[in-house]
Order: sequence, then C-alpha cells, then structure tokens
Amino acid sequence: MKKLIAAASIALMGLAGAAPAQDNYPERPVMMMVSYGAGGATDFQARIVTMTAGNEDALGMPIAIVNKPGAGGRVGWNWLATQVDADGYTLGAYNVPHFIAQSIEGGVEYSTDSFEPIANWGADPAVFVVGADSQFNSMEDVVNYAKENPGGLTFSGAGLYVGHHIAALQLEKAAGVKLAYIPNNAGGAGAMKAVIAGDVLGGVNNLSDAFRAEKAGNVKILGVFDNERSDFLPDVPTMKEQGYDIDNASVNFRGVMVPKGTPQPIIDKLAEIVPTMFENDRVKGKMEAGGSPMHVMTRDEVIEMWAAREETLKELLSGL
Amino acid sequence: MTNLPRTQHILASGLVALVGIWVAWLSFTGEPARAFLFPRIISVVFVALAVWTFGKALLGKTKVGPGLSRIATLNILPGIVVMLIYVFWAAQTLGFYTASTIAFFILLSLYDPAPHGEIRTWVKRVLITAGFLAVMYGLFALLLGVFTPREILF
Amino acid sequence: MEFLLYFGDVFSPFNFMLLLIGTIGGLILGATPGLSPTMAVALLIPFTFKLDATQGLILLGAAYTSTVAGGAVSAILLKIPGAPANIATTLDGHTMAKNGQGARALQLSFISSAIGGVFGVMLLIFLTPVLAQWALAFGPSHLFWLAILGVTVIGSLDSSSVVKGLLSGCIGLWLATIGFDDVMGAQRFIFHSSVSGGINIIPALIGLFAIPQVITMFARGRQQHGAEVIKVEKSPIMESIREVFRRTRALGIGTMTGSFIGLIPGVGGQIAGLVAYDQARKTSREQKKFGTGHSEGVIAAESANNAMVGPSLVPLLTLSIPGSPTAAVLLGGLLIHGIFPGSDLFENYPDVAWTFINSMLIGQILMCIFGLYVAGLAARVAQVPNAVMAAVVLALAVFGSYSVQNSMGDVYIMAALGTGMYFLERFGFSAAPLVLGLILGPIAEANFVQGAMIANATSSMAGYFFTGALNLTLITIVLASIAYSVWMELRQRRYLSKEDTLEREEQPS
Repeated sequence: MKKLIAAASIALMGLAGAAPAQDNYPERPVMMMVSYGAGGATDFQARIVTMTAGNEDALGMPIAIVNKPGAGGRVGWNWLATQVDADGYTLGAYNVPHFIAQSIEGGVEYSTDSFEPIANWGADPAVFVVGADSQFNSMEDVVNYAKENPGGLTFSGAGLYVGHHIAALQLEKAAGVKLAYIPNNAGGAGAMKAVIAGDVLGGVNNLSDAFRAEKAGNVKILGVFDNERSDFLPDVPTMKEQGYDIDNASVNFRGVMVPKGTPQPIIDKLAEIVPTMFENDRVKGKMEAGGSPMHVMTRDEVIEMWAAREETLKELLSGL
Repeated sequence: MTNLPRTQHILASGLVALVGIWVAWLSFTGEPARAFLFPRIISVVFVALAVWTFGKALLGKTKVGPGLSRIATLNILPGIVVMLIYVFWAAQTLGFYTASTIAFFILLSLYDPAPHGEIRTWVKRVLITAGFLAVMYGLFALLLGVFTPREILF
Repeated sequence: MEFLLYFGDVFSPFNFMLLLIGTIGGLILGATPGLSPTMAVALLIPFTFKLDATQGLILLGAAYTSTVAGGAVSAILLKIPGAPANIATTLDGHTMAKNGQGARALQLSFISSAIGGVFGVMLLIFLTPVLAQWALAFGPSHLFWLAILGVTVIGSLDSSSVVKGLLSGCIGLWLATIGFDDVMGAQRFIFHSSVSGGINIIPALIGLFAIPQVITMFARGRQQHGAEVIKVEKSPIMESIREVFRRTRALGIGTMTGSFIGLIPGVGGQIAGLVAYDQARKTSREQKKFGTGHSEGVIAAESANNAMVGPSLVPLLTLSIPGSPTAAVLLGGLLIHGIFPGSDLFENYPDVAWTFINSMLIGQILMCIFGLYVAGLAARVAQVPNAVMAAVVLALAVFGSYSVQNSMGDVYIMAALGTGMYFLERFGFSAAPLVLGLILGPIAEANFVQGAMIANATSSMAGYFFTGALNLTLITIVLASIAYSVWMELRQRRYLSKEDTLEREEQPS
C-alpha cells in the first residue's frame, strides 16, 4: 500500500514537473515574504501594492503576504536567501539600506548577490522627530544640546544597521557630535512610543509613521534625511538646508525581489508586470490615503540603486 | 520494579542538567560578550536549579511526576512515530491536506477502540476522516484562503 | 456620552448582521485549538476590503472581542490556550472540565469575560486620555521590573514543586534567547536552521500545550468506550450567574488587573491573565482549592483577559501605536481605509471610531449570550472519543503553527517542543511556567539593554533603574511577591514533609 502511494506520488510529481512551468507562470498563488511584523509600514504597503495581483491584466494570481519578523529583518532575508525554492513562487520585499548594511556588517547569509531585484514601489525617508512639548525646535537646537552634553542626547530608532541607524551615523558625522542612539526592539512603532513617552529626547523614524504621529499632535518633525523636501511635509526642511551634509543614503527604499537562481524568463515576466501593478490607480489612491510616499522604479534602475547604495554604505560603515 | 520511577527521574533530571551545562558552556564562550550577558545569567540559575533537582532525584526525594509506565510507553510509541513522520516528512512532501488525511486515518485506526474486523467500523473511520478534512479544507482553504504546503492532490 | 449617538449605526440590519458574523465567526475561530486571536483577526481582514470603513471595523471589533473569549473554550475543554492570555484559564478551567463541570466552567468564563469586557470598553469610552498617560508612563526600566514581576509568579504556577517550576521557567527563558538577539543582531544558540529565526511564541504555545494532550490521549491506548467517557453535568445558567457574583473579589481583581496591566504596550496582554490569577489566589480565602477546578481561578483569569480588550486599544486609537500584535493587525485594517488613528480620530471620523467601540460593547454581550447558549453543547467535546480528538488536535496544531508565518520550521519547533514537554511533564515539570519564561525573557532582556543604554548616556544605572515612584512601587510589589512565595513554600514544606513521612512509613522500601 505504502509503495503504491509512493509510486503514485512520484508519478504525480513527475507530471507536474514535466509541464512547461515557465510559460504559464504563475499557475498558482504566489507568496511574498515581508521581513517585518504585520501592521508595520513595510507590511502595510506590501499588502496594498500587491492587492491587484490577481487581476487579469496583472499576474492573474493573488500574492499572499507572509511575515517573518525578527532581528531587524535578518530572519526573513536569511530565510529567503537560503531556504526557499527559487521557482518564482516565493518573492520577498526588500528594504534598502537595511539588508545591504546588514550584509556589510556580516553575520548574515545574504548579500546583494543573493537576490534579483524586480521593482521598487516606495521611498520612505527617515526624519528626525521630537516630542510635541520638546525644548528642541530645529536641528540646530538638537546639535547644540549634543555639543554641550557629548554622548548625552538619547534618541531612538528601529534597530542597528537599518535606515534609522544609517541616518543617525550620518548625523553624527555631519554635525561632528557624539550621540546616544538607542535601538528599539519593537521596531519603528516602539521607537516612536519612546519619543512620545519621553523615554528618549528624540528619535529617527519613518516619514510615513512620523507624518501620522504629527497629524495626531504627538510629535514635531525637525528635519528630513533626504535630498529634497517631501510632498507630505512641504514645510519641513531637509538636513542639507539646515547645514548638515547628509544625502539620501538612509532613505528606506521598498520593493520586490526574488532569490538568486530564479529562472530568467520568470524574472523578466515579473519585471515587466510588477511595476504596472504599482501604477494602478486604486493602489496609488490607497497608498496616498495611508500616508506612504510612492516611488516606482524598474528592475534596471533598482540594480543601479543597489550598487550605488552598497558603495556609500561600505564607506560609511567602515568608520565604525 | 518499585525503583523504576526513581531511575527514570535520575535519567530525566540528569538530561536536563546536561542541557543546562551545555547552555552555560555555549553562553560563556559565545561572542560578542555583550550579547551573551543575559544567557549567562539565565544559564547560571538554570544549572544551579538543574543540579539541585538532579541531587534530589539521586537521593530519591523527588515528590512529583509519575514517570512512565511500560504500558503507557507501548501505547504512545506508534502514535508518536506516526506523528513524527507526519510532521517532519509528510506534511511538506505530500502537501498539508493529503498528509493530514493519511495521518488522521492511521491514528484513528490505531487508537479507535472499535473492533478492526468489521467493515462498518472501517466505513465509519473513513467517513470521520473525510468529514473532518472536508470541513477544514472548506473553512480554511476555500473560505479564508489560508496558505498551506500543496504538493499532490490539494 | 457621545457614543450613545452612534448606537443606531450598529443596529442597522446590515451592520448588525456583520456584528453577528464577526462575533460567531470569531468565537469559532478563537475556540479552534491552534488559532490565536491575532491570526483569527488577520484572516478576516481581506473580507473588509469589500466593505466601507465603518462596516469593516464592526466586523473586526466584534471578531477581536469574541476571539479572546473563544480562546478560553479550547483552554477549558482541551487544555490548549488560544493565546498567552488564556494560559491561566487552563489551570482551573481544564480541571473543572475533567471533573465533568465543563459546561459550568464555560458559562463562568463567558459571564466573567462579558463583565470584564464591558468594563474594559467603558474605560476606553470614558477614560481614554487618562489611560493614554498611563500607557506612556512605562519606560524601559518599568517594563523591565514588570517582566521581573511576571518571573516571580513562575515558581508558584501550576506545579507542586517550586524548584521544578523555576527550572521550567529557566528553560523557557533560555529558549527565548535562541536566534538573533533583537538589539545587537548577534546569533545565539542556532543549532538547527529552523530555529535561526528564534522560537515564535504562538507555535511554541501550541506545541507545549497541545502535543502533550495528544500524546496523553495516545497513552490511554485502545480502551473501550464505557470506561473513559466523562459525564458532562448539566449546569443551569442562573446558577453560574449567581456564582460569578458571589465571587466578587476574584471578579474585581481580574477586571482591574486586566484593565490596567492589559494596556501597557507590549507586555500587558500577555501576562494580565496570569497576574490576575496569581493575585486572586493570594488574596482568596480558599487558596488551597486553586488548581483543583475552583471557580475563582476561571473567573479571575477570564475577566482579566477580556477586560484587556478595550484598554489595549488605547495606545492605538490615541497615539497610533499598536500595543499588541492584534492591535497592529487592526491598524493595518484602519490604514487601508485611509483612516489614521490618533488623538484626532474622534474628531475627524467620529462615526467610524464610535461605531467601532460600540460594536465591541455589543459584541461582548452577544458573545456572552451566544456562548451561554452553546456552552452545554460545547462541553460535549469532552465526550468525543480519544482517537478522534487526538487526530483532530494534531492536524489543527500543525495547521495553526504553519499558518502563523507559513514556515515548516515553526511546525518542527512545535512538534519537538511538544514531544519534549510530554516527557518533562511526566517528571514534574510544567508547561505554564515554561511559556511564561518564553514570553518574559525577551521583554526583560530588551528593556534591560535599552534602559542600560539610556542610563549610560544620561544618568547612572542605579539612578535609572532604582529611582522614581513607579520603579519603586514595582520593586516593592516584586519583593512582596517573592517574600510571599517563600513564606508559602516554607509553610507548605512543613505540611508536605509530614505527609511524606506518613507515606514512607506505609511503604516499606
């Protein structure tokens, strides 16, 4: 009996394998791994941008989001790099600079060579926030305080070697002061809570989350870690405008990638269709309503962006 | 025969103590030291308590825990084997619903007290298996769209 | 009183139907062993895409309310808690079910859930600003002491041996350190690839409670029907209602502890039930009866974990910070409709906010009515033949632990921990302290590390962790709790050793 089942199962698997899998990809629902918890900014945006995947003019199959949170994203990306079948049915969401910075720092099993980018959907700059009743009203106040109390300015962020940490390092370097960066174990939401509750004097956080917190009257946003001002916050100056030489290296780019080894025809098909999914009007409307800045980039643009980011991060982190 | 639980307690608490010593060894040799501060504190307490328990077991002073009887061991053995095959091999290789159907039916046949000789009991078992898996499949796969490993059949 | 204005919305036919679906669906999903409330709410989110914001939130609010109460059903009938919040319910609830009082235990749990729940939602309606301040008052040092307070409960929890209870807790604390450490990102104790992501609490909870139950059913072998079937006693509903109101002390402690501990972000929801149970036991006149199927145990634990539902949403609704995993899922549900929770939520979208809160209020009551109605029927689960039950629970355990994050690794962890736990239980170790260690370990560690970093940057360690009214209060409670346990242990030892000597005299060795 057992032999029979085994034989039958082998035969069935053989049948499934023999079919030209790549031509009619995708034949079944696709899974997308998000390496942050449910309800976080990355998770929330991933769910919106993939919601039209089932449409006939898109993939024709739904994309299911799977959360693998832990250790600033390392858990999820390790899993994607080492444990999944590269058959196009498992995608992953990437966060740059997080995963690149972590691969430079070491102790993980992935690097930019472990993945193939598909497309980018969003760019969420880091911002500097302080509590609504804080004594600080500009970055200058913050830096002056830090100069008077070297290493005494506590400020929170989502973890080590994530965008927030990169922004913190850039600020230290550009302003020439020593700061006390407190990585939070509960991610961006925990870091924001620490600012609002006054556990720390300030914090680096995602623009999208800070935008909501500011609207709710809980924080003040003092500066944007980007090259240009954001459409969501036209009144908040960039760091450069305030006299600190900081570029967009910490901007949190979010997009879709697949593990290395995925067949080229599937990568090409995804690279063609996925950006059009992001451009869908319903998706754009929901993203706008959720306060999430969009920035659609194609596969070739993302490859370039990854390479450029890797170079700047290597330089920045070598000083640690 | 009266000493069986005592021997078992010595073995069990000895095993726990060994795990504790292993954890402590790993904690105190692990780098970076800052990341291992907490495991070190825990492992010291762990080892102390485990050694205490082991000592009590040696002296035969263990108060709680009935140990394992021979009959119980023989009873659980086939079930555990089926469970381990199901969890560690079949669920992934055959797909969740296929593997569950097979495991469900085997377990039912192993532990259902109804006599094996009658056709009626076999029909009943097939019906229970099919009924339960159908409800699960309908609710989770069709209605709620939960993702499970799919290989053969569904 | 603004919320009264929006009551009408809840009762429009379509909305009320959604409320019913949410309540009953939530109860069923919550009662399914292996599915946590967070999971149940997440499963319902896709259905809200097609609804407008208010309707979606009615569905989610009702589901959130009833999944928490539903978790008690499997805790009582099968000793498998649906979520960490239900662990305390297993201690007395399952013992009652084994004694044939399953129906009564279920009724008690639904009634006290509803009372605690309504109280919690009332707090949310009237005291939100005050509660928000309270939620924010807990910084890293306070959360650290709160976790330590939880640890002090470990020794006395569900174990006749304090040493083995503590040892079980230590094993849990160690298991929690496996994987990447959250702050530094260093790898610890990764001896197999499936634990590289650490041990996820939900699969561990399923494994540690469900698998020993399954194996225990195996151990009974192919027994004949007649010998095993538990008689399910009938239980008049009025009797149970009277019982709940006779136990006002347990009810009060449960409700208050649940409301105020439950709203502390990140920690509260997980330990509220256990802390309430522990406090109720310590202040009860019938202390000895706890753990033997005593009604106060069920009442305290269940009123606490439903009282938590309302306040646990305070950080989300006022500060836009999700305080629990379920709240995080609800945040996603709100954002998708373009609604930003925050202090202006009640000004900009009063219809959405109040209808949501009202739906939880009505949901509590519907849940109670429906629960009482089916309690007698549900209790008959105890009469399902062993073989069927074992197979059902095993299949659901595999399903539940896989679906948390679609990972076979979690299923392996679930099965390995569960099988290990069965053998440990045979030697006097127990699952509840182990799980508590698993939950509290990361909280204590992360907050200690963060607190230490802040302390080093600003003042001294001693100044940061040992000064301030809240720190000192928590430390006092911790010390009192330890002193009390030690005192009880000494008293019990005298009592036990007398029994021991008696036994030894009877048994010639």
